[in-house]
Amino acid sequence: MNVAIETRALAKRFGGLVALDGVDLKVAAGETLGIIGVNGAGKTTLMNCICGLYRPDAGDVFVAGEQVTGQPPHVVAHRGVGRTFQVPRVFRKMSLIDNLLVPVLDRRASDAELIGRAEAMLERMRLIELRHNHAEELSGGQQKLLEMARMLMPDPSIILLDEPFAGVHPLLCKFMIDRIEEMARAGKAVLLISHDLTSIYRLSARVVALNQGRIIAEGGVDAIRDNPAVIEAYLGM
Amino acid sequence: MALSSRTLEPADRIYFMLAALIGGVLLVYFALVPFLGGNIAFHFYLMLWITMASAFNVAAGFAGYLPFGYVAFYGVGAFTTAILVKKAAVPIFLALPLAGVAGLVLALLFAPTLRLSGIYFGIVNLALAGVCRLTITNLPDWLTGGSFGLQLGSRAEPVHSFYVMMAVMVAALATILWLARSRLGKALRATRDDPDAADMMGVNVPRIRLYGWLISAAFPAICGGVEAWYTNVVDTETAFNTLTTAKTVIYAVAGGLGTVTGPVVGAVAMVWLDELIWRRFPLLNLLILGVATVALVLFLPRGIVGTLLRRKPQWRRYVP
Repeated sequence: MNVAIETRALAKRFGGLVALDGVDLKVAAGETLGIIGVNGAGKTTLMNCICGLYRPDAGDVFVAGEQVTGQPPHVVAHRGVGRTFQVPRVFRKMSLIDNLLVPVLDRRASDAELIGRAEAMLERMRLIELRHNHAEELSGGQQKLLEMARMLMPDPSIILLDEPFAGVHPLLCKFMIDRIEEMARAGKAVLLISHDLTSIYRLSARVVALNQGRIIAEGGVDAIRDNPAVIEAYLGM
Repeated sequence: MALSSRTLEPADRIYFMLAALIGGVLLVYFALVPFLGGNIAFHFYLMLWITMASAFNVAAGFAGYLPFGYVAFYGVGAFTTAILVKKAAVPIFLALPLAGVAGLVLALLFAPTLRLSGIYFGIVNLALAGVCRLTITNLPDWLTGGSFGLQLGSRAEPVHSFYVMMAVMVAALATILWLARSRLGKALRATRDDPDAADMMGVNVPRIRLYGWLISAAFPAICGGVEAWYTNVVDTETAFNTLTTAKTVIYAVAGGLGTVTGPVVGAVAMVWLDELIWRRFPLLNLLILGVATVALVLFLPRGIVGTLLRRKPQWRRYVP
């Protein structure tokens, strides 16, 4: 198994609140690992620790076998980690083209080449007509697509998707699911957080369920769906 | 961090033609002022405010900081120039770049405060400007001239300093025009809009912010030096006057932060308005100017150019 992301005994506290409590997981290249859990389970905190936004209190994060624990986010990004956010965090007062150029500003490629790539990416995301608009002028769903396009610009090998389908129209969801499947087929490791279990079950062969910062279940879709601990955490029964 | 090397699109051509046209008009207009018997003092200060507002735009419009103590760079530049010329007999044309260096050193000393944001940064910056003023006030009188200030001692050369001010203005505008289209400018604007997201997209946020901060600091320091040369006198009361920051902020905001032309338009409009009010209503000058500023902020919160581009978003690609 070619491990792309690995966390070992990852722990994070916010004051008295335990957000992550010894999380061990591995994601292989070409695999889409689904992360499910109720609000406050620690899903986004896990992603923030992996990409360097939070420094874990204990444990380690490895990207392609190299330890990145506590490294600043831009260093982790340069190791090939891209991510999207639960609430879109686009650069609001910049054009769509400029939004896409931000992750590749330090590349040696010419501006013409980078702009060409950005336009091709916007074409793929069906946003090309809006390329000179400011990002704040897009709808919420379009901002999600823009984030996805921006994340893909530097061609990351590891992709962290935080609730990509939240508040998105079903037709757009279908479009995004197709794009995520493309990423996995291209050999990228995808860590997918979603409350939309249907999408998670479709995209992920393996799922991890978090509750109160701990992994309570891990396995194939069917095993997770019928797991009593998951049912209790989700439905309280 | 280079300008685009691709073949220019029509919109880019219009952008650069417009920039060249505005720059050319400003250059010719100001260059002819001394020859045509224009008011040198008025135009000197107009160029100074265009430079100050444009440099402030880098910190506020591009990087998202509000340095309420911006006058610190101006004051330190003025005193550096005066001390070098008066006490060390350094030629003025060497003293002025060294004033810029002093501004850069001060910006590096202030750099740890770039971790702060919003109003917290503004307040700390204001306090640091006070510290600078007190430090210079408490230096020995033989060095700074005490409460009387320092006279540069050279014969005042208003036309020379006028053209040097023009060169500084052109350099500032050229730098900001480059910045607006450069990779550094894009990275700066990304950190302004969302620093955490920019960081996670691979932008080294502290480094990029520092670059913007240094650009923003160098020009007011040189402005302070040129003004010291122009007036031939420097004292802490005028060199660290908070009105300098206030005017810089008002002029930049009046035109519109984040564009190259905004602070230029804002400075030209407000300095002319100030002059007009001063001539007609000398006793009510500040009151009327204050009311005009409040009206401008209320009705054009994004400034003149900012509001125009808000209403005509299709013009964004063409207007520098």
